[in-house]
Amino acid sequence: MRSLIKILSLACAGFLGMGAGLVAVMVPSTLVAQTIGVSIPAATHGWAGGLNYHAEQTKARLEAAHPGLSIVIVTAGSASEQANDLEDLVAVHNIDALVILPFESAPLTGPVSNVKRGGVFITVVDRGLSEPGIQDVYVAGNNTEMGRVSGEYIKEALGGSGDIVVLRGIPTVVDEQRFDGFMASIAGSGINVLDNQYANWNRDDGFTVMQDFLARFPKIDAVWAQDDDIAIGVIQAVRQAGREDDLFIVGGAGMKEIVKRVMDGDRLTPVDVLYPPAMISTAMELTALKFIANMPVEGEYILGSPLITRDNAEQYYFPESPF
Amino acid sequence: MTATATSNPIVLSLRNLRKAFGAVTVLQDIDLEIRAGEVLALLGENGAGKSTLVKILAGFESVTAGELLLHAVAAEGNVRVDAHWQQARAEAEGVILIHQELNLVEQLTVAENIFLGHELTRGPFLDKFTMRRLTREYLAALECDIDPDTPMHTLAVSAKQMVEIAKTQSKQARVLILDEPTAVLTQKESQVLFALIERLRQQGVAIVYISHKLDEIAQIADRITILRDGTLVGHYAAQDLSQDDMARLMVGRELSDLFPPRSSTPDYQQCALRVTRLLVAGTNTPVSFELQRGEILGFAGLVGSGRTALLETVVGLRAAARANTGTLEVADKPVVLRDLATARRHNIAYLTKDRKGSGLLLDKGLVMNFSLFALSNYAGLLIHKKQEEVALAAVVDAFDIRIKDANVLAGNLSGGNQQKLLLAKMLAAKPSVLIFDEPTRGIDIGTKGQIYQFINQLAASGHSIILISSDITEIIGLSDRVAVMYHGDLTGILKDDEIEEHEIMRYATGLKSRQQIPVPIQRAIG
Amino acid sequence: MPTIDLKTAGPFVALLLIFGIGILVSDAFLSAGNLTNILARSSFIGIVAIGATFVITAGGIDLSVGSLAAFISGCMILLMNSLVDTIDSPIAIVLLAMLASVGIGAVAGLVNGLLTTRAKIEAFIVTLGTMGIYRSLVTYMADGGTLSLNFGIGDVYSAVYYNTLFGLPYPVWVFLAVAVIAYVLLNMTVFGRHCFAVGSNENVARYSAINVDRVKTATYILQGVCVAIATIIYVPRLGSASGQTGILWELEAIAAVIIGGTVLKGGYGRIWGAVVGALMLTLIGNILNLTDSVSNYLNGAVQGIIVIVAVYLQRGSWRKH
Repeated sequence: MRSLIKILSLACAGFLGMGAGLVAVMVPSTLVAQTIGVSIPAATHGWAGGLNYHAEQTKARLEAAHPGLSIVIVTAGSASEQANDLEDLVAVHNIDALVILPFESAPLTGPVSNVKRGGVFITVVDRGLSEPGIQDVYVAGNNTEMGRVSGEYIKEALGGSGDIVVLRGIPTVVDEQRFDGFMASIAGSGINVLDNQYANWNRDDGFTVMQDFLARFPKIDAVWAQDDDIAIGVIQAVRQAGREDDLFIVGGAGMKEIVKRVMDGDRLTPVDVLYPPAMISTAMELTALKFIANMPVEGEYILGSPLITRDNAEQYYFPESPF
Repeated sequence: MTATATSNPIVLSLRNLRKAFGAVTVLQDIDLEIRAGEVLALLGENGAGKSTLVKILAGFESVTAGELLLHAVAAEGNVRVDAHWQQARAEAEGVILIHQELNLVEQLTVAENIFLGHELTRGPFLDKFTMRRLTREYLAALECDIDPDTPMHTLAVSAKQMVEIAKTQSKQARVLILDEPTAVLTQKESQVLFALIERLRQQGVAIVYISHKLDEIAQIADRITILRDGTLVGHYAAQDLSQDDMARLMVGRELSDLFPPRSSTPDYQQCALRVTRLLVAGTNTPVSFELQRGEILGFAGLVGSGRTALLETVVGLRAAARANTGTLEVADKPVVLRDLATARRHNIAYLTKDRKGSGLLLDKGLVMNFSLFALSNYAGLLIHKKQEEVALAAVVDAFDIRIKDANVLAGNLSGGNQQKLLLAKMLAAKPSVLIFDEPTRGIDIGTKGQIYQFINQLAASGHSIILISSDITEIIGLSDRVAVMYHGDLTGILKDDEIEEHEIMRYATGLKSRQQIPVPIQRAIG
Repeated sequence: MPTIDLKTAGPFVALLLIFGIGILVSDAFLSAGNLTNILARSSFIGIVAIGATFVITAGGIDLSVGSLAAFISGCMILLMNSLVDTIDSPIAIVLLAMLASVGIGAVAGLVNGLLTTRAKIEAFIVTLGTMGIYRSLVTYMADGGTLSLNFGIGDVYSAVYYNTLFGLPYPVWVFLAVAVIAYVLLNMTVFGRHCFAVGSNENVARYSAINVDRVKTATYILQGVCVAIATIIYVPRLGSASGQTGILWELEAIAAVIIGGTVLKGGYGRIWGAVVGALMLTLIGNILNLTDSVSNYLNGAVQGIIVIVAVYLQRGSWRKH
């Protein structure tokens, strides 16, 4: 008998709980705490590691500064996993805003658009969606610009002519845009690209491909490694061949090891070109601003790809970041 | 039984049949007529070619030469079908074989098995209701009370056999071939089967019946065809042959021709292996026996009587029912045989009955197979390949293993040569206790004789031997004493005059037992 | 033996063919620098493939090798970095890390072995599981980024990859030594013979008094140790480890083993075949880097075709036998 009463009272409590939930949903959103969902790729490689680091840092800073604000970060290993994450963010965390760096553009356009229909404020980072008009804020780096800046530097440093090799990333749109921007910037100059090969944004492949370039071409004046992970492998291969004094290397992204070298005035890596994982911070700050200060933030923010030189390197150096 | 029915119409016949596997001819000059409404018994020793013959009749094996004729149902006349007589065709014509090895899907239910391959449907759906009802009817005809929804794997072997027989009723059988159906049945179940056979016979079904049990043959056969070493001995009317005649015609020689006289006697003062109250997993009666030095101890029993399980437990290939059940003594010293390697260290070797599945590496050469069991005898830190080869050459000679090419793979050897290689493999460990499990299964009569010679010589030179065999003449011809098993129990150990076929069968079927286990009264000999 | 065994010679013939293509494609191919590069580069996959030859010969499979290499790299780097302040001698630190590497490799192999033999889980599933575990552990240890070896130790340790003996880099000598030891172990000892037997037919092995579980577990331990050795010569090359380290090594190692004539279903294994297979895979990549006559986009296709053709040639000669 006693247990029956227990069950009945539990059931009543359940009904009450449900009622409370309904009330919470009906209360205007400005009166309750705001939740921002952040969906990004898992930290499976260096740049994404930096992305995760900066997202966590920004979350800590924003939550400390604005007690009403809560930020939920979820990471995904694939596009479909990320789509599931979005459903969870809406259903479980009841988010008011979404900051997303889509794994791939096309597969996530539909899911993000669904979230948007639920009245959620959308901020898209780095990779644009396939359909216009879904996002409220768009924050991105500029891949074409990154290639162009790299090309301009090499052209200038070599005095307009010389033989170079190019190590590319993984065959993707990002890689294509960077490569095209680079080639456009050196078009018509005396810069001759001896060959280009994919090094998969990976240190080991950077090492191997560079070894083979060094074996094949007795004269190389500069290397565009496009990415700092590749650049690390290239540096080792060049050292092994003892050709540090014959050439210089331009990487990309702003990895702390490379920025440090630039800061220290390493002749082999005189500059780096920024493509910062910290763009996630920009996106999160902008989104938070929308709710905290109710400022108009809607629009597109394309971050530049400044050249990191010995003079300005310090401001791009984050020793605590994993990237 | 009663009247011979030689005037009945012929359903299926063979003329001048020859069957060869590669270069080995297993059947030759076979003529056979199968008539409607008649029970034809096929008799012959193990390896005489009975199973191959019925597999040809049922389309499981092709004809190498000669004619297989399907006789007129209507006016079409006789059709020669040997070139395209496949199992599906044979079954469509109503020729159905019930294999010695049961052909059932363990995971399915009884009803699902009975209608496997010709399921009844209503529209797109299975008509389970009708299939269940029919299954119940078929089983009722066999006085067999099994629920159609019982999963197959939960049934006892004899029940499975009954299901296999019931299965034939779901097909329109014109010729029903039964290959040793009573090997796993009790006397009572056998009698029910015979009643069904009689009913089918009266309905005009032709029955081909294989059995080693001569009394059964005498009871149900109309005609008897006897095979020996792949050739036809003759066709006989059942009432013209006594059981003695049958045995004589089957063997075709005195037993003494095949089994050499024993040149030694066991030393009953020296116990080579003593097993005391060993409980095999899945049984509930502990087993005890002794093996003397220089003795050949036969282990007889029906298929599934637990002989292999017992001896594999003894040598450590299987775990006993519980740890610490029973004790083992080798040469009067207590030992624990955890695994076969330990058994080998105590000079015990075990020859598996599954030559291809557990005996030899079929994709490897002779050397690797020969030395595998006793590899440490040919190796220090490294393997002495020269020693291996020298030893193998000696063995090829001693065992008369006939090979054309020293690099031949074990899988390409004939059954007899494989068996000799397997013998050589276990003897390479120089064991003193040898356990042979079906050492002559599926090999030709000539090699059998050679193997019997080896076994005799081994016993004479002081080896102690356990011989498991389903060939009762082999057990009788070789053994000093015969242990008989029934349903996992050792029902008796026979010696001297007791070693005789009928007496062995009484123990093997549970009619008689030296152990104090209850024997159902109604199973007594009638 | 007077007749040439095509099935044994097959992989060597294919290797020579690809070598010939290399000579035609680029003048740089035959340079001493390029040839030593190829040999040193093959040594990682080659040593892993030698371990895989044991596992596959005994009828198993190990998919965790690439992740294990990454995990061991990470552990070595963290260990060395943490010892910098307590131990003065960089050489002692490196030696300790090497010892730890072999220890981790052996334990990882033991775990794979026990899970397949005792827990009776299919090797494919067990090693697929451990593959995921090691990969994410190293990502976790590196915070999603890259672990970098302390500069001072890296300077000392880099000799292991970059220094040479009689003109050949150390990794090549290590590769050769591992191959010779493995050859003897697989073809001339009782253990090796047992690997063949277990892979050919487990039941026959059991009925031949072979402890099947122990043999299988031993092959996984050997595989783990081989991965550890490969890692010991890999770490000094770049002095870093990340979630990207050793990615797809398992597939390359298995491919090298099969190209070399070992049968995937077990029972037949060849150490020199695995060595040749690893060299072949490296050669293909090298030649593609030395030429621009093949579109970059088609590199994967060229590799795939060569692997299939190499195995086909070798199996074709099986039938004639």
